[in-house]
Amino acid sequence: MLHGVDLDVWPGELTVVLGANGSGKSTLLRCAVRLLDPDAGSVVLCGAELVGARGRELREARRKAAMVFQQVLLVRRRSAVENVAYGALGELPLHRSLSSRLFPAELGERAHASLARVGLADVAWKRADTLSGGQAQRVAIARALCQRAQLVLADEPVASLDPRAAEEVLVLLGEIARVEGLAALVVLHQPELAFRYADRILGIVRGEIVFDASPASLDEHRVAALYQGSET
Amino acid sequence: MSEAAADPSLAGRSFARPRSVRRRLLWLAGTAAGIAVLVHAWQDTGASLTSLISGFHNTLNLLSRAVPPDGSVLTDSIRASILTFDTALLGTASALVLSLLLVPLAARNITPHRVAYEAARLVIGVTRAIPDFVFCLIFLVAVGLGPFSVVLAVAAHSVGVIGKLFAEAVEDMDMGPVDALRAAGASRLQVFLHAVLPGIAATLTGLALYRFDTNVRSVLYLGAIGGGGLGFLLYDSLQLFQYRQATTELAVLLVLLLVVERVSLMIRQRIV
Repeated sequence: MLHGVDLDVWPGELTVVLGANGSGKSTLLRCAVRLLDPDAGSVVLCGAELVGARGRELREARRKAAMVFQQVLLVRRRSAVENVAYGALGELPLHRSLSSRLFPAELGERAHASLARVGLADVAWKRADTLSGGQAQRVAIARALCQRAQLVLADEPVASLDPRAAEEVLVLLGEIARVEGLAALVVLHQPELAFRYADRILGIVRGEIVFDASPASLDEHRVAALYQGSET
Repeated sequence: MSEAAADPSLAGRSFARPRSVRRRLLWLAGTAAGIAVLVHAWQDTGASLTSLISGFHNTLNLLSRAVPPDGSVLTDSIRASILTFDTALLGTASALVLSLLLVPLAARNITPHRVAYEAARLVIGVTRAIPDFVFCLIFLVAVGLGPFSVVLAVAAHSVGVIGKLFAEAVEDMDMGPVDALRAAGASRLQVFLHAVLPGIAATLTGLALYRFDTNVRSVLYLGAIGGGGLGFLLYDSLQLFQYRQATTELAVLLVLLLVVERVSLMIRQRIV
């Protein structure tokens, strides 16, 4: 449940959302692309209003945001490069999207380039279900790149990764945000990672943003209080 | 001695859950009702041990007249078994295509609208409820005697069966990749083609092969009522007391069923 959340995120910035379980972090991300419908209010994504949008209008708006989920949501029986290309499905005409064999050559090149950008050129033809957790999460980030999204929404992208893979993914997200000029909104459960990699940290308690600050200006006790539900 | 066994309050406890008197009476009444229904079924079907024993003598007599097999009908039997296979294949393939068109509407988690869902479920429910035998009787009148009426009957009934199983497979699937593609702006059709179908491909293949396996058997008995194929030949031979011919046809039938089952299993193992 979210209440009165008013949030702007900016290109080139990695914003981390912290909060206890059930505080509304994932709801915030899902509302941002209208995988969940807010009861009231407005969701403006890169200038387009999502609340009330339907069909093509909604799909067009969604193309501007890419989601990287907690569990890696790749199509298991497809190759890494096909999964990356799926990010651009929304821009293809119907007859070009019926099968991945019909995808334009330009999209193939873009998908391979996106994979190379996340350091996975060598696993392009591997099936998604044979990739490690860290590789799969990087493929999901490559999908966001291939989508040419302006906003990346990542819902606990490192939850199931070992510390090294988690750091690699966060470094990559930060790098992509800065170099490609994307806005990244990342939900994390590890404050120490947030302090290390975020440009900005949001704290959520029971659906309300209780602080919005740079890591340098934040007190660690204030962050710790998020998980006791006592932040005011 | 364990700690629990030492506790006197736990003495005499067993694995059986304690039941109230009311529950015991209900259980007894249920058991009695079940036995009564079975007795009724025994009487209603004219089941009798005497008939079974005298029938055994007739069966031995039939078997003695069924050997050696008559090789003169081998070519016709093989040709008829190919027709039986073709009929089941075409019926199953048609049902598969129609089911895949229904599934995006009939699966609760991806249907575009409640009305579309109810309509698709109605089609599935009706076609599944009407047995292929009844469909065959209808299509025999509509398109005449021959295997095509069986193709239509098998297809019509299988749409219901396969459609239901496919829709349930979609409803049980991991929706993650679907959400990921939806969030990326893909259309419903694109999501279905690139996230739903690959996600359930192995299940679909297994179900389709199993249905084909079942349909081969259905085509056999539907053939006997005018659909042609191996079922018709077998029925004809038994009606004309040509038991040696029937033995040859049964042997071909057995080979056909074993081959279909074996190939289905191999494909399923490879895909799953």
